[in-house]
Amino acid sequence: MTSCSACSAQGTCVSAHRSTNEMYDRTRAMGLATIFDRYEAQQPQCGFGMQGVCCQLCSHGPCRITKKTDVAICGATADTIVARNLVRLAVHGTAAYTHHLEELARTIKATVAGKTPFKIGDEAKLREIASLVGLDAKKPAGELATALADIILAELRKGSDEPLALVNLLAPKTRLEAWQELGVVPGGVLSEIRDALTKSMTSIDTDPVDLLLTVVRLALAAGYMGLVGTITIQDILLGTPSLAQSEADLGIIDPETVNIVAHGHVPLVATAVIQASQDPEMLSLAKKAGAKGIRVYGSMCTGQELMQRSATSAKGFAGQLSNWLAQEYYVATGAVDLVMMDMNCSIPGLKTVADRFHTRLVSVDRIVRMAGVEDHVDYAPEKVAEQARELIKMAITAYKNRGQDIHIPPYKNPAVAGFGVETILGALGGSLDPLLDAVKKGSIKGIAAVVGCTNNRNGHDTRGLTIMRELIKNNVLVIAAGCMSSAAEIEGLMRPEAADQAGEGLRGICQALGIPPVLNFGSCVDIGRIGVAVTAIAGALGVDPAQLPVVASAPEYLEQKAVVDGVFAVAFGITTHLGPVPPVTGSELVTKILTQDIEGLTGAKFLVEEDPEKAAQAMLAVIDSKRQALGI
Amino acid sequence: MTAYVIVGNSAAGISAAETIRRLDPEGDITIVDVEKTPAYSRCLLPNYLGGTRSEDALRIRPRDFYQKLRLNTCFGYRVARVDVGEKVARLDNGARLKYDRLFISTGSSTFMPPVPGITGEGVYGLRTLEDAKKILAQAGQARRAVIIGGGFVGLEAAWALYRRGLEVTVVEKMPQILPQQFDACAAAILLREMQAEGIRFILGTGIKEIAAPGLWEKLTGKAGRGVILENGDRLKAELVIVATGTRANTGLVEGTGVKVNLGIVVDKYQSTGMEGVYAGGDVAETEDVVSGRIGLTPIWPNAVAQGRVAGYNMAGIPREYGGMIGMQNAVEFRDVPAIAVGLAQADGDGYEILKEYRPEHNLYKKIVLKDDIIVGLILVGDIRQAGVYSALMRKKAKVTRLKHRLLRPDFGYGQVLSA
Amino acid sequence: MKEIMVYTERCNGCLTCVLACAAAHAEDKTIVGAMAAGVPGRLFIQAVNGRPVPVLCRHCEEPACVAACMTGAMQKDPETGIVTNEGHEQTCVGCWMCIMACPYGAVVPAPGKEKMAIKCDRCPDRDVPACVAACPNLALAFIEPEDFARERQKSVATALAVEAGVPA
Ligand SMILES: Cc1cc2nc3c(=O)[nH]c(=O)nc-3n(C[C@H](O)[C@H](O)[C@H](O)COP(=O)(O)OP(=O)(O)OC[C@H]3O[C@@H](n4cnc5c(N)ncnc54)[C@H](O)[C@@H]3O)c2cc1C
Ligand code: SF4
Repeated sequence: MTSCSACSAQGTCVSAHRSTNEMYDRTRAMGLATIFDRYEAQQPQCGFGMQGVCCQLCSHGPCRITKKTDVAICGATADTIVARNLVRLAVHGTAAYTHHLEELARTIKATVAGKTPFKIGDEAKLREIASLVGLDAKKPAGELATALADIILAELRKGSDEPLALVNLLAPKTRLEAWQELGVVPGGVLSEIRDALTKSMTSIDTDPVDLLLTVVRLALAAGYMGLVGTITIQDILLGTPSLAQSEADLGIIDPETVNIVAHGHVPLVATAVIQASQDPEMLSLAKKAGAKGIRVYGSMCTGQELMQRSATSAKGFAGQLSNWLAQEYYVATGAVDLVMMDMNCSIPGLKTVADRFHTRLVSVDRIVRMAGVEDHVDYAPEKVAEQARELIKMAITAYKNRGQDIHIPPYKNPAVAGFGVETILGALGGSLDPLLDAVKKGSIKGIAAVVGCTNNRNGHDTRGLTIMRELIKNNVLVIAAGCMSSAAEIEGLMRPEAADQAGEGLRGICQALGIPPVLNFGSCVDIGRIGVAVTAIAGALGVDPAQLPVVASAPEYLEQKAVVDGVFAVAFGITTHLGPVPPVTGSELVTKILTQDIEGLTGAKFLVEEDPEKAAQAMLAVIDSKRQALGI
Repeated sequence: MTAYVIVGNSAAGISAAETIRRLDPEGDITIVDVEKTPAYSRCLLPNYLGGTRSEDALRIRPRDFYQKLRLNTCFGYRVARVDVGEKVARLDNGARLKYDRLFISTGSSTFMPPVPGITGEGVYGLRTLEDAKKILAQAGQARRAVIIGGGFVGLEAAWALYRRGLEVTVVEKMPQILPQQFDACAAAILLREMQAEGIRFILGTGIKEIAAPGLWEKLTGKAGRGVILENGDRLKAELVIVATGTRANTGLVEGTGVKVNLGIVVDKYQSTGMEGVYAGGDVAETEDVVSGRIGLTPIWPNAVAQGRVAGYNMAGIPREYGGMIGMQNAVEFRDVPAIAVGLAQADGDGYEILKEYRPEHNLYKKIVLKDDIIVGLILVGDIRQAGVYSALMRKKAKVTRLKHRLLRPDFGYGQVLSA
Repeated sequence: MKEIMVYTERCNGCLTCVLACAAAHAEDKTIVGAMAAGVPGRLFIQAVNGRPVPVLCRHCEEPACVAACMTGAMQKDPETGIVTNEGHEQTCVGCWMCIMACPYGAVVPAPGKEKMAIKCDRCPDRDVPACVAACPNLALAFIEPEDFARERQKSVATALAVEAGVPA
């Protein structure tokens, strides 16, 4: 495989990580089929689906746009089918983010009522946001928090004709004008979801352009509520991330402790479990079972949330294991006793591997269900303290059944977490100016957000890591979020020492500040944090985000949340690279709009490039042209 | 008009006859065979024995085959001797068949190891339809059968008799079954399957003697007959099948100047070097493309291929034989198909072995490489791509770029095409 | 004699041909029926680095499967050129000799209990084989090999001309 430049494996080469390759060999030797095998078994994949020109909405279908016919039975063209399919993907992404936000709003209210083990973690942010949305910021924190939560819930539920408050309040003016012109300022998120779903039924909205505008509306709704809203409320509840030292990769698993993995995106149950795991009663139960202690590890974005708060609300967090593609492999170590699956990204394949070992899978969100998983401890804010203890007891019971067949790959790397506007300001001494100066002087050429999922189309994390390495080599500061954060943590790019791998200018800045060249912005909702940072930079410079030497990349995008993230970024004015080709190439019109025409409307476009080196070059070119336009 | 005489009405002979007729519509073609039946497949004899195929369904060509191709048949006669000087084939009834071109495809016969009692009653080889009929007749009165030899024919015979309801024991001198074709791992899978059906195996010991009723009674004090093993054990059996190997039927050219080693020596045109005399099939020695070794390659496809090459050359169109693998065998017992090709057991210096072993699925794949060229293959359980591997082996293709994909379940010709 | 020709670059791996083939060989001749009964397709769309590559029987001039067949079931029809082990006086026993012989892997064991090898029979009762008729990408064609070669040459020439900036 020529494109495997980031590979650290000798022999097996399914992943950029040695640990994953080693575990894959282990599962194969056990006769266990895992994600990489299932991927192979699915090849070749149908080109109509890959191009987005397969419609299965009505019972006349499936219809495909082919060499033999350019319209579906109803007359829909490739443009309509592609755009309509895209709307449905965007609906999914938006809905999932909304779920996360609702859980937080409910939790805030229960916390204020004293029914949860949490306490308001960032009162300053609470007061800041409260005053922004028009509340009297002098009121007691509890009262404000409840009122804010109510506003969020009301915003989610209001009509699609009532523009979202957060968009009006937070978006840069220049952006807001552009969106108003396009008519894409969204209303209440649930109403937007209803409208979009209705439109994308057969024969309702068949105008590809209007369908694409609907995608943008959804993306803005998801962006300002699901991303920015979620991180803000989450910060208020669990504390704004602060710099913390942690570790990543499978080598952090301690074979002598009761091991619990928090897997998913919503860190509420997990935070409660970390806190409860330090309870002397729980510890003595674990010791009685023969364990040295109880450790809570992270996987996917829940892990990132915990890591970036491991100096505060998630103190005691044991580190990050892996990201989406590698979930089966930490179970296959044989040393994981319980996996708490919260909202999003627990794959059914996990069950097959868990069954081979003693590992107990528990869903901890009422909407997470998996065939064969009978343990549900569905998150309820009022009960979560007790639920946390119950989960730990379940883990201890499982620990007692742990077998002898354990293999923990001996690899791990330290990682710094907790970056965001606040910590960057802290590191810079309270002002963004040093950073902006570095950008102006050219020691930092620009900023690239390398975010989103991991994907096997080009080898697990291979593409993302190659792009990150290329960019830092070229003095582009990388900020990572989501599964890409795990990738960088595991390969040591989030250690300050990784500055060695950066170009001269960036290296100097990193060394001066003691920061890594790839900043850990956390989970995939923390893409909202990147949005906040870009807004702050644009504000400080007095320009529109589209003018900044800032690009984004979702080099291994996988699922529907990433679809709205990407569209949000482009609507926000940030040119966004996609690694895997999205299912739109069957429509020339849609492809052209997304990769060309949209630039005239939002100042940014999608860059689709499968080759990571070429992608990095294309992103550098965008940064250069923006610098030129700014005259720096 | 050229006179063609073909000795042996089987795989090689029929293939030669068809080829000659296609190329020389006028030629006078005569096929001689001691067996009286129209050409049949001896490979199907185990099926016939097992009752899954009727005698009629053993024929490899339609009823009107000889007539349609205008082939003279001379069945029921043995060619006793070939007179290469006079270009005459002498039959056992004294008749003389004049030829311009002669094709010897007399195949091989069961080799009876020289142990006492082997020529006795109730002891058979399995090579001809007549053998099979005799076995069937005996099986009707027998309860137990002993098969001597755990090779390919022995196991097929065992399986067939087991299907007939006999208690079957296979005795194999080597420590594993199918020692010629398969390695220990593949053999173990197949053994387990057959044992699970209730067939008994005694491995690692040969036979000492076959005891007729008189001797048996003397030894045991009881009525009966059976087999006495090298280790002294006695196996009571009313039916014994000997399947320890074959010998090429080269008697008809003895002393004629035609060179014979283990079989008739031929060049790449299947010619014996004597004017107009060609040979092919089980009786001839050819070169194995993988090992480069000259030897017997007693399998059906090679007999057909050699017959065809001989046919071309006999009809005056030069054609070379080559690129065939001597060792290739397929078996299937109890729904577990298995294939071995080439140097499947090669090991040690210079050989690289790729293996996939999933005992829980009765799956085993092994590819033997030398300098990145496939030289051996074993497939158990999933045999679908056997031909693709074999073709790479025959072509001696470097598989360096394909190596990591060879064992994947999705490996196929597409990969080869695009490599 | 017409043959099934493949334009690999047009194939997008949708497997319509495989389903159409299965349907053509199913009792009720429908795709759903074929899937329910587990009737397999007799051509293969293999993945090579994620790209689909159709692999199917070439109905060779001197077929290795016919030479290998020890029952005489596998035959090549001198008139139509079709190579098949079905519809003859001799029947298949499932000895897998043909599978070992076919360099394309175009012969496979029938699924289920029945011991029989199956392969493309080029749909003897149809004017155009089911796979060719079904392919929505015109990646398969049932034409004379000479016509195929001519067309290929033309398209290569066109491509070269375009590359060289010459109007074709
Ligand atoms: C039980 C059994 C199962 C087998 N299964 C397989 C299998 O699955 N796959 C495979 O590839 N191979 C198999 N073989 C081997 C295969 O049958 C032979 O390789 C093939 O038959 C060789 O063909 P041939 O034409 O060279 O010789 P033969 O088939 O041996 O034919 C030779 C003919 O010559 C006749 N003959 C001999 N001497 C004279 C003479 N002096 N005058 C006149 N006629 C004479 C004989 O009567 C015979 O009919 C099997 C063999 C046996 C016995
Ligand atoms: S139907 Fe055509 S395009 Fe689809 S897989 Fe078959 S050959 Fe390829």
